[in-house]
Amino acid sequence: MAIPTFSSFQTAYRALQASQTNIDTAGHNIANIDTEGYTRQRVDLNSISNSGFVQKYSLGLKQAGSGVDVGGINQIRDPFLDARYRNENTETQKYDTMLKGLSDLENIMDEIETSSGLQNELTNFLNQLQNLSKTPTNADITLVVRTAAQQISQMINSESNLLSQAKEQQVFDLKKVVVETDFNSIVKGIADLNSQIRREQLYGNTPNELYDKRNMMLDELSGIANIKVSTSPEFIPSDSEVEGSGIVIENLTVSLYDANTSTYIGLVRNDSFNTLKVNYDGDKASISMNKGFTLDGTDTSLEKTPDNVDYSDITKYITGGKIKGHLDLINGNGTYADITNNENSFKGVPYYINALDTFAREFAGTFNELNKGGGATEKPLFAPSDGSSEITASNLAVSDEWMNDPTYITTTDGTSGQTGGADNILRMISAMNSKNNIFESKSGTSMFKGSFNEYLTGMVGELALDVELMTNYSKTSDTVLNNLFNARESVSGVLLNEEGVNLMAFQKSYNAASRYFTTLDEALDKLINGTGLVGR
Amino acid sequence: MRITNKMMTNKYIRNVNTLATDLDKLNHQVTTGRKFSKASEDTAAAVKAYRLREDLSKTEGYQSNIMHAKSYLANAESTLMNVQSITIEAKGKIVQALNAPNSHDERSIIATEIRNIRDQLLQALNSSESGEQIFGGSNRQNKPFTLDASGKLVYNGTTLATATPDELAKFNSDTQYVDIGLNPEFDGTSKIISSTVFNYSVPGTQIMKGGTSTVTLKDGSTIPVSNNLYDVLTDLVAELDKPDSAVNPDDAYNHDKADAIYGKFNEVSGAIVSNLTNLGSQSSYLDFSSQRLETLTFTMQEKQVNTEGIDPKKAIIDFKSQKLAYETALQMGTHILKQSIFDYMS
Repeated sequence: MAIPTFSSFQTAYRALQASQTNIDTAGHNIANIDTEGYTRQRVDLNSISNSGFVQKYSLGLKQAGSGVDVGGINQIRDPFLDARYRNENTETQKYDTMLKGLSDLENIMDEIETSSGLQNELTNFLNQLQNLSKTPTNADITLVVRTAAQQISQMINSESNLLSQAKEQQVFDLKKVVVETDFNSIVKGIADLNSQIRREQLYGNTPNELYDKRNMMLDELSGIANIKVSTSPEFIPSDSEVEGSGIVIENLTVSLYDANTSTYIGLVRNDSFNTLKVNYDGDKASISMNKGFTLDGTDTSLEKTPDNVDYSDITKYITGGKIKGHLDLINGNGTYADITNNENSFKGVPYYINALDTFAREFAGTFNELNKGGGATEKPLFAPSDGSSEITASNLAVSDEWMNDPTYITTTDGTSGQTGGADNILRMISAMNSKNNIFESKSGTSMFKGSFNEYLTGMVGELALDVELMTNYSKTSDTVLNNLFNARESVSGVLLNEEGVNLMAFQKSYNAASRYFTTLDEALDKLINGTGLVGR
Repeated sequence: MRITNKMMTNKYIRNVNTLATDLDKLNHQVTTGRKFSKASEDTAAAVKAYRLREDLSKTEGYQSNIMHAKSYLANAESTLMNVQSITIEAKGKIVQALNAPNSHDERSIIATEIRNIRDQLLQALNSSESGEQIFGGSNRQNKPFTLDASGKLVYNGTTLATATPDELAKFNSDTQYVDIGLNPEFDGTSKIISSTVFNYSVPGTQIMKGGTSTVTLKDGSTIPVSNNLYDVLTDLVAELDKPDSAVNPDDAYNHDKADAIYGKFNEVSGAIVSNLTNLGSQSSYLDFSSQRLETLTFTMQEKQVNTEGIDPKKAIIDFKSQKLAYETALQMGTHILKQSIFDYMS
């Protein structure tokens, strides 16, 4: 069988096309070297053979191949690295959020640099009591003692209020910023991209830029919650009657994955998506899901969500990312948590508010008891300022009786028969130094035994240790994340030198292809215009 | 492994940032003189630091209490020395009255002089320091020593001569005390444990003892005499004032009686000296405590500097070397990041 005359021109043309595509791709890579999330692209070249031509009689064709075919332009990306990166990102963002929140708390409670905090007021109060013990009948000094007591109560009020404000800030961040703005819009964005990508894939295109965009969104989403990305192939049969013809496209599913219970909760599947909602009742925050679709197991290649999942409260399935960080800070009740009711036992804002409340209760209780002076009548030095029956850190105040009469403080129990004794003051001084105070929670559980200063130092120390711990976790996590980022970059990133060398190489191939074309042209020209002219 | 441009810039930026962070921290250390500005930077040291601050403040309080007690003791001492000189003067007068043969009139004159001295004694016992009574125990406002209807000495409302042992015990244990760092404690009945505080007042009953005892005369008969100096002087004056002879022998001057009362006078006035000795030793105990607390304060302050402060020389050297590292890194960056193959392609 003869080779068609002009088929070689097709080969040359295809060669030029391939080189052109290569150069363009290299140019595209170079142009996008600084683009965030860009994955380098490579042209997929296939050599075109001329086999597969079958006739009744074998003719032993000796024919060269038909050139090169541009199979497609593909990204170079490692999905395994992506998965690892996203896992690590979930952890890093969680620790980062916790660290920021705890540092805010530390700024409120720590007085190591300022030396004008609660512990300072306590020592001032003690010194004023010492002064009073020297001259117990001096009304001026009782005024100073009362002022010192006021400063203590005001300092505790202020700390408690600042802590509550910090909690409100965390709720705001979680609600407005993380969930409503970031999470919900990203989830919708991924769903939109999914439908766009699917359309492109159906047409046989490789929408690399859309892939990049989707991957960036997935990275961001992984920092917000503990997600798992899975792809499942879908076979789309073509309209032709050839059996088995069609293309395979990829469907992307994003789910919330809780490793503790191995539960998958669907977030995005193709163009369906579920959004989250933050519910805050003034005390605890919880997350509910607006159920758009569920992983109900109809697609057997995907995991199924268990039937007992309560979509109105999926808080316990969120174990990482910024949402978890915020939730722990908002709900964490530390050692006050009711474990049997699955209360959050992280040492978050509620824990420290409770700790301050316990301190206020014990402090006021001790001094109110001592002020009875051994008698039976109540003579409270401290009382709740808002008329409620229980003393908390936010309502601790000097009692009205003491405010109206500074000498309300009992200086002596009178057993000596005289009015000038300082024995009750010394009882109060002894109480300030005593290491036998038992600090109890509202339900009566003993939380701590020691002096008032030890309690406060312990509280600040706990917080400082947590901050130190979170700082270390955060640093480690960040380093690992960075290494994974570099690993990803190493695979998918654009290397300027590489593209430069490629440009030179592709330019050479283009030149060569042109030369081939010229050769063919000259040969044909010779054939047409120069052959068979003998004797002319 | 491919090293892409982004990796290099990324790594470079991270390293420079680390250097800058450390530089900032050292700068902060040098300017504040503190090792750490948040407890989380060094929790163990922070906890120690809080403790030291608390202890230093408490020690200041103890020192102030010691000063207060010392001034009180000094006042008590000078008052008692005054009382002592009063009693010496009284003694002179009594000896004068007893030894030489005196007529009734002469005795009466001496009796009046002794009466005056006795009243001075009462005034001295009611001394106060900045409005607070010295010898009243926990009675600081009102004069502790008064007289009852029959002219007998009354201490904080109880006539001393007829006070019961329980009442006396109560008065003796009723002192003023302060906390000088011995950890005040209370026993089961909520009474203060006296070894854990410092008693700085002298209860009046230590100077003017309560109760009455009997004195034997030469002829074997006994008379009751109060144990306190004031009543003794009153009795003596009353005896000296008696005429040489009277219808009732008890109403006449009895030299033996006067002599016996004078014996009691010597006994009770001697007790004042022992109080002075007591005060002296208490004062030196306070000096010793004060010195101990001062040494303690120095030690704690040193500890505080070691825990919270930095050695300025070391900090500045660290800062300078860190600054050098930072500047070097900045210079290096320009060399690495600039070049690529495109610089060499023609």
